Amino acid sequence: MDNRPKIAFFQCQWCLYAPEDQEWVDKRLPENIHLIKVPCTGRIDPLFVLNAVQGGADGVVISGCLPEKCHFKEGNLAARRQLDAFSSFLDYIGYDEARVRFIWLDLQDRGRIQRELTEFESLLKKLNPAKSLATRVPETEGGAND
Amino acid sequence: MTELEQKIRAEAARLLSEGLVDVVMAFRKEDAPLRPQPAFFTCVEDLENLIYNGLCANNLANYLTRYPDETRIGMLVRGCENRSVNALVVEKQHSRQNLYLIGVPCTGIIDWRKVVALTGEDILGYEETDSSLHVRTKRQSYQLPRRELLHASCQRCVHPNPLSADIVLGEALPEGDPALIRERVEAFEALTRAERTAYFKQEAERCIRCYACREACPMCYCEECFVDHNSPRWTESGTTPAGTHAWHIIRAFHQTGRCTSCGACERACPMDIQMTYLTDKLGKDMWDSYQFAAGMDAKSQPPFASFTLDDRKHFQAGGMHS
Amino acid sequence: MKYILPKQDLNALLERWSAEYAVLAPQKSGAYAEFLPYTPRSELCLEEPHNTRYPPKALFFPQSEAILQYKRTTGQLESISAVAQKRVIFGIRPCDAKAVSLLDTVFAEGDNQDPFWQARRAETLLIGLGCHAPCATCFCTSAESGPFHTDGLDALLTDLGEIYLVELLSERAASLFDALAPASSILQENAQAVQSAAECALPKAFELDGLKGKLDRVFDQDIWAQLAQSCLGCGICTFLCPTCFCFDLVDEAQRDTRVRNWDTCMFRVYSLEASAHNPRPTRKERTRQRLMHKYSYWWEHADKLGCTGCGRCVRYCPVGLDIRAMIRTAGAYENEVLHAN
Repeated sequence: MDNRPKIAFFQCQWCLYAPEDQEWVDKRLPENIHLIKVPCTGRIDPLFVLNAVQGGADGVVISGCLPEKCHFKEGNLAARRQLDAFSSFLDYIGYDEARVRFIWLDLQDRGRIQRELTEFESLLKKLNPAKSLATRVPETEGGAND
Repeated sequence: MTELEQKIRAEAARLLSEGLVDVVMAFRKEDAPLRPQPAFFTCVEDLENLIYNGLCANNLANYLTRYPDETRIGMLVRGCENRSVNALVVEKQHSRQNLYLIGVPCTGIIDWRKVVALTGEDILGYEETDSSLHVRTKRQSYQLPRRELLHASCQRCVHPNPLSADIVLGEALPEGDPALIRERVEAFEALTRAERTAYFKQEAERCIRCYACREACPMCYCEECFVDHNSPRWTESGTTPAGTHAWHIIRAFHQTGRCTSCGACERACPMDIQMTYLTDKLGKDMWDSYQFAAGMDAKSQPPFASFTLDDRKHFQAGGMHS
Repeated sequence: MKYILPKQDLNALLERWSAEYAVLAPQKSGAYAEFLPYTPRSELCLEEPHNTRYPPKALFFPQSEAILQYKRTTGQLESISAVAQKRVIFGIRPCDAKAVSLLDTVFAEGDNQDPFWQARRAETLLIGLGCHAPCATCFCTSAESGPFHTDGLDALLTDLGEIYLVELLSERAASLFDALAPASSILQENAQAVQSAAECALPKAFELDGLKGKLDRVFDQDIWAQLAQSCLGCGICTFLCPTCFCFDLVDEAQRDTRVRNWDTCMFRVYSLEASAHNPRPTRKERTRQRLMHKYSYWWEHADKLGCTGCGRCVRYCPVGLDIRAMIRTAGAYENEVLHAN
């Protein structure tokens, strides 16, 4: 567990169309992936992403629906612009933008989420742990972020 | 009194005596050396205190959000202030109709700290010309080239001329070179990630959470700032690294598509923290991605408010950073 | 007792102290001076005529301080003990030293004694450097202090060019200076002349006599709205002020820590109540509060003036507000405006 990259996974609650995908995420997500379910990617405030980075996330995944498929019509459009700009901004201050991955899922994308997460994890393993902005990681065991 | 000051006073007097405005926002004589103050004139007699010079360091558009729309306001605007007014009008924070903008093309704001660094304390007085600042201290007199005293943002100013003033006093100035802002951002981008993080931390960690940058900024007008959210608390409250980093990252980010690069934030900061290298990066991204620059008119919606289905071509898995 | 300390011997003296104490002294940090740990490589910043930007109250009352920790998984509480190391703060200005002793009123007297403050105070010696060339924003002499006042100091240095004259003020600090030669009466006279000259160089900022009453009597007047018009409501004046002491307790839930942070009456949320009522709803009430607290309420609560005239609020106010001018205007309002009509 300690050696696997820590991933914060923001999942729009609608984007996993196949019930088996959602069940996998809900029940069998690997321990190093921390799930945060949101009603829409439009709910994702850059504050959440920063909070994850400061908490020690080596990578951040945001998965949502394709344009025109947003349950709330335009949430994902707003998210795309804001979070795109934010990941570019984080890169500017040193948090590699390769560490922020957007996955826009379609109806046909059964099983894609597992593949994406696995691939993302291998990519993160090649990068060093992202510790330079991880300023809220507790120094002792049994602290807040377990 | 300079000719320009006379013109400004005359225009302010006209607006007040003809009952065209309820208040004129400009600057008045300093109490502390080198520090003229924002001032709010409501009667003609007070106008003898109105001054205008290169030490007038605050963005007056900041005060607009304190007034209800019905108040008829005459205000001095330089290039950046005019754009801040536009940006506020776009965000419906004030309507243009009750504003009378007294435009003044600006040769740049002098950074008082640069003056003190060169002359020391004990400043008795100063005179400003087009090209220099003459400073008298208890010990001696100095003649300093104005260009070297300008605040950094003013050295990179692209739009010194007010874009949409109701009257313009003073000669129009040549527009500045946008490459200056862009090049500084690109120079920072060219550093390694480790260097960029180190610089960011070195600056942000001096922060004392006084929020002067926020209060001096015309675009920071939220009644409840994100730092005051406590259920849950997303950013640490104190001067820990987590807290100071989060403050600077998010405040800059909340300026995306809104910041006019006026530099009021840096001028207000008591700890000399650099911030415009962050907001200018976001401004550059907004230009590159959406051809948007804040405050250029009073109508165009900023990028985060104008997402469209046409953005769909960017919705590729992991492929947004084209 | 008065001693001579040649300036060229200063570093050696500080190093000698470093064997027993952690020594802090003003050093250049970017464009300004701040109190930093002394090392042999330190470049001391003692020639500048003004004090550090960030106030030395932070050395006793840090801006953000953890006071309690807990483990969410076990429910265990860990109080953080108030332990301090022996320290010498060298080069503190008289305005700042007096301010530290004023804060004893808040943190070390009566029923509310702060263990963190007291532990640090007990272990710290304050060696002051007087100001022979006060700057334009200083007004200590108008605020019951002065460029060579000794309130709160264990020793006071007077700069005489090539040497410092050291005046020992407390027994605790005696061992710091016992290797120094005593100062002749001529040098002592020179020092007195420097001190008087500095004191005279400071113009009177406002009339303190009767000020409290004058401010109290105009509390409800509109003058406060005028004075507060350009105020941004940031925290610079309060955070850089060596006598401001308000704080907020915050449970940083994500770090399982309760912290104490400096707070400021200038922020709207400072007095905002849970019901959404705010007894200081506008800029006018909040700016008035700052001035009244320093120049009126401190007298009521502590029988002392709550300001030492250090001038930081004047220097660093982003809109150039000068507390001296504000006090003069408010203090004169009764006579010049109310009674004039």
